[in-house]
Amino acid sequence: MRTPSLNRYSRRNFLSLGLGLAAGFCFLSPKSLLSASFPHFFFAQLKYRGGEWDPNPQFAEAIIEELELRTSIDGVKERRVTTLSDPDLFFYPFLYMAGKYEFDPFTPQEGETLKRLLSYGGFLFAEDTAGAKGFGFDQTFRREMKKLFPDHELRRLPLDHSVYQSFYLIESIGGRQKVNPYLEGITIDNWTPVIYSQNDLSGAWSRDKFGKWINECLPGGEVQRSAAFKLGINIIVYSLTSDYKKDVIHHPFIKRRQTL
Amino acid sequence: MNLDQMTIAPVFSLWLILLLFSLGVVSVVIQYRLMLGRLGHSRALWLCLLRLGAIFFLIAFALNPSLVTKKEHKVSPAIAILLDTSQSMGQPGGPGKVSRLEEAKALLTEGRNPLLKSLNERFEVRLYGVGESLRTIEVKELGDLKAHGKNGNLSEILKELRANYTLALLLSDGNLKWNEGQPPNLPIITLPVGNPGEYKDILIKAVKAPSLAFRGREVMIDATIKSYGYTGLTLPVLLKEGNKLITAKNTHINASPSEVTVSLSFTPDEVGQKNLSISIPQQVGESLVSNNSVNLSVKVVRDKIRILMVSGNPSMNYRFMRTVLKNDPSIDLLSFVILRTPSDILNVPTHEQSLIPFPVETLFSKEIKNFDLLIFDNFKYPLYLSPHHLESIREFVRGGGGFAMIGGPNLVNEGGYAVSPIGEILPIRFVEKEDYQRDSKAGVRLSRAGVLHPITRLSSDLTGDVTGDDADRLNFWREMPPLDGFNLLEAKSSATVLLESGDGIPWPILTVSSYGNGRALVLATDYSWKWDMGMVAKGKGNHAYLRLVDRMVRWLTKDASMDSVQIALPESTGSVGQEIEVRIKLREEDLSPNLRSVVSFSVFNPDGLRVESKLKPTGQPGEYLGSFLPQKGGIYKLKVETSAGNLEESMVVTGLLESLDASPNHEQLKKVSTSTGGKFLSTSDDLLREIENYSRKGESRFIEEKQSSVWASPFVMIFVLGFFILEWYFRRRWGLV
Repeated sequence: MRTPSLNRYSRRNFLSLGLGLAAGFCFLSPKSLLSASFPHFFFAQLKYRGGEWDPNPQFAEAIIEELELRTSIDGVKERRVTTLSDPDLFFYPFLYMAGKYEFDPFTPQEGETLKRLLSYGGFLFAEDTAGAKGFGFDQTFRREMKKLFPDHELRRLPLDHSVYQSFYLIESIGGRQKVNPYLEGITIDNWTPVIYSQNDLSGAWSRDKFGKWINECLPGGEVQRSAAFKLGINIIVYSLTSDYKKDVIHHPFIKRRQTL
Repeated sequence: MNLDQMTIAPVFSLWLILLLFSLGVVSVVIQYRLMLGRLGHSRALWLCLLRLGAIFFLIAFALNPSLVTKKEHKVSPAIAILLDTSQSMGQPGGPGKVSRLEEAKALLTEGRNPLLKSLNERFEVRLYGVGESLRTIEVKELGDLKAHGKNGNLSEILKELRANYTLALLLSDGNLKWNEGQPPNLPIITLPVGNPGEYKDILIKAVKAPSLAFRGREVMIDATIKSYGYTGLTLPVLLKEGNKLITAKNTHINASPSEVTVSLSFTPDEVGQKNLSISIPQQVGESLVSNNSVNLSVKVVRDKIRILMVSGNPSMNYRFMRTVLKNDPSIDLLSFVILRTPSDILNVPTHEQSLIPFPVETLFSKEIKNFDLLIFDNFKYPLYLSPHHLESIREFVRGGGGFAMIGGPNLVNEGGYAVSPIGEILPIRFVEKEDYQRDSKAGVRLSRAGVLHPITRLSSDLTGDVTGDDADRLNFWREMPPLDGFNLLEAKSSATVLLESGDGIPWPILTVSSYGNGRALVLATDYSWKWDMGMVAKGKGNHAYLRLVDRMVRWLTKDASMDSVQIALPESTGSVGQEIEVRIKLREEDLSPNLRSVVSFSVFNPDGLRVESKLKPTGQPGEYLGSFLPQKGGIYKLKVETSAGNLEESMVVTGLLESLDASPNHEQLKKVSTSTGGKFLSTSDDLLREIENYSRKGESRFIEEKQSSVWASPFVMIFVLGFFILEWYFRRRWGLV
């Protein structure tokens, strides 16, 4: 499998940053700021009480850059930080939640809001960035999901799930750590509003201001990072197209390519 | 024969009478002994016998004797003459007769000794006409009597007559309904008219066809063809829509009479009412031509609404709309999302990505006709479509397809639409170069047209209003979350704006129009999904958004469920002369106070002329009963007009002669006469003699009995007085007085 040349991103961003600094930020359009409208994809990161809600604060830029470079989706690199009491919560296309440690349980009001959001079309990508199974965040998140969806368990997503086929044909699950070779999710009918990873994808996407990867991917190195980017793009595309790749017209193409 | 009898009815008891008589005899014996010495034996005996005779008769009167006279009488049978007047009797009759009815009339009234007159002289006769019902006919009406109406039910008719008649004479061609299982207790002499041997006809006896068919699926129609007298002939059976031939099939006639079923099939490619006919060309010498064709009406509907949706990129708008369309079992969605534009760089070999080629040529040149609706969602076409594809789309809409364009930033700089054939279809114009307004936070409001339009006229259960007032509907849309972006467009004069931006300049947000036979819609925002999540956030559920998308799709595809009126036709086809009733139902949303009560019902006959019709409410909200009386066969158009919309339906009314099998059925007459104990006669028989002979068997007799008291006769009194006078005379003569 070929790996994307991630070094190019670093060089380009480095130059961009340099030029931007030289030009007095003249390349930054006002529309790229947080006030930008929703057609641009952006991460709305859920800030919760207790634990550590923002383990990888610099995760968004590289994945958005990759998203814009590879797909027809426009993205905004700046993430929005939100809470379950945010009145705009229902208008965010992609709710992101991450952490390492145990966090405070959702209040009944917050639980009800999150359940309604996810039941009527919202999407949540959550990840445990601890790099090991069964730590605080993992336990708390599973408990909260069980409370919200007692009839729908967090289950391993099968290999033919649309999230593995929405853009790339995913064969390996990347991330900063390779804790699970799969994603988990809560599926209601044909839609999976909650996708959960323990591989710290955002850790693999995180890059500092100088374009240098913040975390090393173990044990697979850059191949594993590349897989994390591909999986990230697939999750984003899935959040915007649902089970589009399950349409009959895609079957022969996907099957043929998978047998190559 | 007279049978006279004497009867007694004693006024006293018999023992008293016998006692009186004994006393009388004793007194006479005593008288004899007293007179024996004075008059001698013979004279005394004579006087005593006279006294004894007088006493005998006087006492005999106490027995009250009566004379009974009996006389036997014969009664002439009452005969009912039944003259078949149904439509088949209008067909050519025997030699020289224009119709079978005329032939029957001639049998009754013509000739040296007209049968009817002769029967009237001998019997008690009543004349009846037998059609769909039984009616009495005066002799003077016979001349004007015409054959019309359906065949009568003889079994039912005879139930009415059997109590009053001893015999019935039936003049018919045999085309009558007859239940052999329950013969009435009334003998029937049948007298056939018409000549089965000379009858030549081809008719479509029956047609089996579905009233509802699905577009694109084969429809089978079975026609049963019956023929008389055309053995060896090969006939074409034609299925037509108006004058256009759809299909034809030949059938060979092997015998006479013969019956064969021909299956005709066709595949409708358009939805709507198809008024069809099955016909057989007229043949030489055919007696009846009007039964060579049959009208039928088939309503063609789509099994599913087929939608082709092309989205310019993955988006919330696509996902929400896809979810609605995919969850509707009546919709078949094929969607393409542009996941990668030509400027995007692929970093993996083909087999590692799931992208499929966009089959533009196949979709827009060949397959487009198989869709009902085409949706372009924030799609910038110049990168993918050629001018001939756009021409194809224009023809698709002109031919009746639906086209929806959903806005978004990809339509900036007109998206290439304005100068293309698609610009001609669209109900809007692009007015500014930078035509996508971001972060507008614009609310929407319902336009005046939108209040009434079926797309945006949501029902009260969604808007939550209780009054049905338009103000509630307006408020409902004002509550919708603001749009974060929309295209700045201008509605064409021929278009109807349903929703417009609520702040500042009222930019059209949802605009519709017709183009050719099709319809077009522009939703000038990629934020309509916020109407879903916004209402969910308020805890009101997403029903309004689901209904809005559903309504847009169904309006664009002219789906029957969007008709504000529904007409329920009777299950069976109507017949000429029989009142036809149809049920009319208005949709719930159309029952708002300001729309209520404006309903009209019109019926047009096969010539396009309006016929008298009635409309009355059933008592159920929004339900009416329409009725009309068809006077001729063919396809009738029913039109219901309301202030919210109109609806037209077609229905077939069977003509009187359509499917009429008018072949003389003399075998039926034989069955009738046999099962009733009657007789089948022919015109060559001496009809009067045969009827007389037969009627004798039914002749009845009765005995008249007359009783007269002997007391009442003066001669008897004189006779008794004669005894006393003679006795007195001889007593005087012999010196006893």
